[in-house]
Amino acid sequence: MTFADNILSVRGLSKDFVLHTIDGRRVEALRGVDLDILPGEHVALAGSSGAGKSSLLKCIYRTYEPSAGSVVLRLRSGSRIDLTLLSDQEMSYLRGRDIGYVSQFLRAEPRRGPLDIVARAGVSRGMDRNTARDAAAVSLKRLNIDEKLWDVHASVLSGGEKQRINLAAGTISSPQLLLLDEPVSALDPANREAALDLIGDLATQGVAVLAVFHDVEAMERLASRIVLMRDGRVESSGEPSSMLEILTQGARR
Amino acid sequence: MTTDWALRVSSLGKIHGSADLRALEDTGPDIGTAKSAITGSIVAAWDVGFEVSPGEALGVIGESGSGKSTVMRCIAGDQPSTSGEVHLRTVDDGRTNVLELDPSARRRLRISDLAVVYQDPAEGLRLNVTAGGNIAEALTAAGWRHFGRIRDRAAELLERTEVPHSRMDDLVGTFSGGMRQRVQLAKALANEPPVLLLDEPTTGLDASVAAGVLDLIRNLLEETGVAAVVVSHDFAVIEMLTTRCVVMNHGRIVEAGLTDRLLEDPHHPYSQRLVGAARA
Amino acid sequence: MNTPLLQQVLDRTTPVDDSPASHLEVNFGLLDEYSKREIRRAILTAVAVPGYQVPFGSREMPVARGWGSGGLQISLAIVGPYDVVKVIDQGDDEGVNAVNLRRLIVSSTGIPESTTPEDSTLIQTRHRIPEDPLDERHTLVLQVPVPEPLRGVERDMRELARMHAEADYARMWVSLYEDKVRNGVITRTTGYPCLVNGRYVIATTPIPRWDVPRLHRSRFLALFGAGREKRIYAVPPHTDVEPLTFEDVPFEVEVTPGASCRTCSSTESFLVEIPGATAGDGGHWVCSDSDWCRRNRERLQHPSRGDRS
Repeated sequence: MTFADNILSVRGLSKDFVLHTIDGRRVEALRGVDLDILPGEHVALAGSSGAGKSSLLKCIYRTYEPSAGSVVLRLRSGSRIDLTLLSDQEMSYLRGRDIGYVSQFLRAEPRRGPLDIVARAGVSRGMDRNTARDAAAVSLKRLNIDEKLWDVHASVLSGGEKQRINLAAGTISSPQLLLLDEPVSALDPANREAALDLIGDLATQGVAVLAVFHDVEAMERLASRIVLMRDGRVESSGEPSSMLEILTQGARR
Repeated sequence: MTTDWALRVSSLGKIHGSADLRALEDTGPDIGTAKSAITGSIVAAWDVGFEVSPGEALGVIGESGSGKSTVMRCIAGDQPSTSGEVHLRTVDDGRTNVLELDPSARRRLRISDLAVVYQDPAEGLRLNVTAGGNIAEALTAAGWRHFGRIRDRAAELLERTEVPHSRMDDLVGTFSGGMRQRVQLAKALANEPPVLLLDEPTTGLDASVAAGVLDLIRNLLEETGVAAVVVSHDFAVIEMLTTRCVVMNHGRIVEAGLTDRLLEDPHHPYSQRLVGAARA
Repeated sequence: MNTPLLQQVLDRTTPVDDSPASHLEVNFGLLDEYSKREIRRAILTAVAVPGYQVPFGSREMPVARGWGSGGLQISLAIVGPYDVVKVIDQGDDEGVNAVNLRRLIVSSTGIPESTTPEDSTLIQTRHRIPEDPLDERHTLVLQVPVPEPLRGVERDMRELARMHAEADYARMWVSLYEDKVRNGVITRTTGYPCLVNGRYVIATTPIPRWDVPRLHRSRFLALFGAGREKRIYAVPPHTDVEPLTFEDVPFEVEVTPGASCRTCSSTESFLVEIPGATAGDGGHWVCSDSDWCRRNRERLQHPSRGDRS
């Protein structure tokens, strides 16, 4: 494998927060992260809370603006582009098309039904209306969202239902790179199973996934590689089996 | 991946009082005031610039007095500006600075190039005219002369903005605040303007009513592909409607960025205070 | 602007001393020459910009403002020694106001009067256009109470001026829309708003709709005078006068099915209702144009004599 094969190449990515409301205090969230991800690779980020896992996802997606470093993404067109150099408008355009992000919570949405939310996500990424609707239906069915709820305002649904709708919306079209931030944290075992299944399929479609899960089991099942973070840096990286051993040992200690 | 703008604003400025530019030296976010001690004038807005693409919504956020409504009114032509340029793609393919048009040509832009939804529906509507009649005003201004077609189009627009058909022939003055705002939206969209300015569109409405109007605006923005500028002091509104925004303080833009970035990673001290207050 | 028309207005100059009015102590046409000149200038502007309301310095007249003083000032400013004057009020030559105005014009000029349009050159009228076809020889002077067609939708003078300047008549259309929505038809009857020469909207005084089509591309010059509001406007000959109406709502003139004049039996003239009349009296309706009615009746009684009109 060469550099050119990577979907994502992160180099020296740093993020400092300057808190003007607290006497200009400086908080370092990332301190020079290097990371490569190949097509179809599923990389799980591990580490204690505050290690910088979510910050890394947000810096890639520009929900946080990186302080230094580069984030090179290979677009569908094959060209490679440093996301940190894009204008906000260009970044906004790439979002959802080439790079997806599924957070723990459903973003503030108008009062719409699940089918509408998921289908619109598809349309905003360039799918035509009917295709998007069909794909949305397939995805919602797969995630066990009761058809009776498809046109009910999402705001009245349970946390677990909202999370699945969010996942369905985030995965309706296959981006080059999908960022997942605890996408199954609120799900019961059966629904969690269906969600993990869906995420697992993405890798087989060639989508590169960078994920944060709160449990080891999900990582074990999906990850092709695990990256351990600590204090805003990558501490180690390797095969799931060996990494999980380190992680569980760490937990026992 | 070029982004083509529908509206471009650059170096827009508005000074109340003496146009003496020394006022710029002792006003702004760093000084903490918009009123100049040197000249006595008020720099309501200065060096404001942004572009908005078709289908995109840009937020302008700030506290009252930050200059955000001034910017909107200068773009709309409700207020003369002191300096700057405003270009619309539909006017001379974007080559003309519309601020230099004569007042009459300027007003004509409001027929089908640029529409405004005001916080106070009385500014955008005639309360002593029916809902359908208000829309008819926009349509006849654009040259519609067929009664049946005007009726059909008005009914279609009101349906789209969720105004009950049974109220089409009622005077707008008899409508509730939320319903008036829906009629105002219908009127604003009547001639399918490529650019829409919304000034605090849900401020002053009850929370539940505001939520409904917000839903509607979000849907309309997505469906029409209009380029929108949303002026609001309310982060919930900005978050729901826009993908990018600018933060204004004492007449200047202090920060610009993707809306989620501004909410989660605000850089400027003022933005941080603003977000902190909203999140508290 | 065609030159003969200008000439037509300019030719009405003050007569030489041997004119029929030379024995009068007042100036020919009552007004002093400076006043006439100013009013004529306003008229010329009005003719040059059809439908545009020209402000003028309205004089105190021997009739109260609101009683035809605007029309009277126009008539007196343009009347010449060779004119023959006819004055009607709602189509009637014998209305009190018509008689007074006619007497004033005749006594201050010494020109002859007539009730027949065929014999007249200067016709001053309140709220009607004579039934007889008028032509190049005629100048029609209409008395206007409210010259501003947009008065019903806007009160602010500056805004009104802007609306006319920018031909922004959307709100006029809205008022027609609202009328149609509320009543199923456009109920506006008299003073129907019309677009003149494709540019300015005018109030057609309160003439009935019946008369409106007769202003369109007419052969005569129509001058509108509002004394109280100090405005003069004009519809020159052969000028488009289009009633504002929706494409799918045709403009219709007043017709009462089955009605005929109780005096001359006409069904082809503008009829007015006689208050309090019963069918036993011979009908409820009578011709508005009294002179036309008289001649129509004579023609029917003596068909051999015919009639010039």
